[in-house]
Amino acid sequence: MRAALLTVAVVVLAPVFQVMVVNGLGLPGGGPDVVLVAVVALASRPRPPVAALLGFAAGLAADVAPPADHTIGRTALVLCLAAWACARIPARSPSRLNGRLDGRSPEETTRLAAGTAAAVAAVATPLQAALALVLGDASWDAVLHRTPGVLCWTVPAAALVAYAAARLPRARGRRQGYGRRYGRGYDRTLRRHRPWRYGA
Amino acid sequence: MRSAGRRVPVLLVLLSLLLVAADRWWPLTPLRSFGSVVYGPIEDASSAVARWASGGGARERLEAENARLRGELLAARRNAAAPVTGPATGTATGPGPTAGLAGYRVVAAHAIGFGSDQTVTLDVGTGAGVAGDMTVVDRDGLVGRVVRAGPTTSTVRLPTAASASVGARLEGSREVGLVTGVPEKGLLRLSLLNSDAAVRAGDRVVTLGSQGMRPYVPDVPVGVVIKVEGTPGALTRTALVRPFARFTALDLVTVVLSGPDPLPGGEEGPG
Repeated sequence: MRAALLTVAVVVLAPVFQVMVVNGLGLPGGGPDVVLVAVVALASRPRPPVAALLGFAAGLAADVAPPADHTIGRTALVLCLAAWACARIPARSPSRLNGRLDGRSPEETTRLAAGTAAAVAAVATPLQAALALVLGDASWDAVLHRTPGVLCWTVPAAALVAYAAARLPRARGRRQGYGRRYGRGYDRTLRRHRPWRYGA
Repeated sequence: MRSAGRRVPVLLVLLSLLLVAADRWWPLTPLRSFGSVVYGPIEDASSAVARWASGGGARERLEAENARLRGELLAARRNAAAPVTGPATGTATGPGPTAGLAGYRVVAAHAIGFGSDQTVTLDVGTGAGVAGDMTVVDRDGLVGRVVRAGPTTSTVRLPTAASASVGARLEGSREVGLVTGVPEKGLLRLSLLNSDAAVRAGDRVVTLGSQGMRPYVPDVPVGVVIKVEGTPGALTRTALVRPFARFTALDLVTVVLSGPDPLPGGEEGPG
């Protein structure tokens, strides 16, 4: 519950932080895309559909928060896909250790989340720029000038914030969630053989 | 469970595409208004707190007075520029048709948010009388035009935006042209309609002014020519202009709510 409230607060306030603090600093290269960083960092925890909803909501907020002046739905589309990818890739990639989805140590989970976040941010930023170009929100020169700087800020920021977010202690309720996905028996087996996944 | 895992993202992607398509053909004004109703007070309050924390509580009156003086200055600039068409240029200080001219009605505002689309949020909205298509200036020169006004905030489009174009003229020769943005350098490009117009580096560019003072009032300083481009004989003469206002470091600005009565035989053109 607390995690959900925190997520909603981050999603609502990220555009404000972007336009009032980050863009006002006048950083060389333009500064990171705060909303994208927040979404890829938060999206590794919920299930993929919930993550997609989170990304969509964050993108829509960034689309309508003043002084945004671009086509509504552009950021929502990109962030919806980005968040869904961030939730799905770690859940689908087998462990290096034993080739199983659930056999990852906490350290490996954290690193996987950070790597996925950085990779998704590196794809989402150019995608966002390309959409801006196609929809006529920005000129070719402006996009070419702006995107590399934003990319240089956003990708490392996404990796760092996702790493930090994945290291936060998980809420108890989510620990028992494996039964819903794989069946109760699997949950019990997992609890016996991979106690660290349950905070033991 | 598995089917929901596919269905929800696909639905959301379709919904975003629908929003994009809708906004392209019928601008989603209600959604943007909703955004400014929700986010306006948040941005307004947090900037007010930040200003209060930095000890700016007693500045309000001075800022309002500053805005009023700026409005008077604009009106004076316009009166000084207008007699070019009249007979007595040097002695136009007597009680002529311009003497009864009131200054512009203005309101002081702060730039509180900087967008990625060459737009800026101001902390005044319809509550202070601000509406769309109003001119915004700061102490250096033209800042832009209001594109959208919410209850407590308004959005200003800078002249460097891809979709902005400002009618302009050279201050000295009164040659008419159009200013558009060169966003990658933070500069502007002036295209003079007369391809034989004389333009040199160092010439000042002012706004031409629009019908009914909207969206641009006349004779606001825009910038200074730094480089003349192109070859003589081209269809238009173009020059790079450095804007006077520093768009990345805006703070106190002035919104022109309405102009004085139009000058007799005034020289307004489309802008």
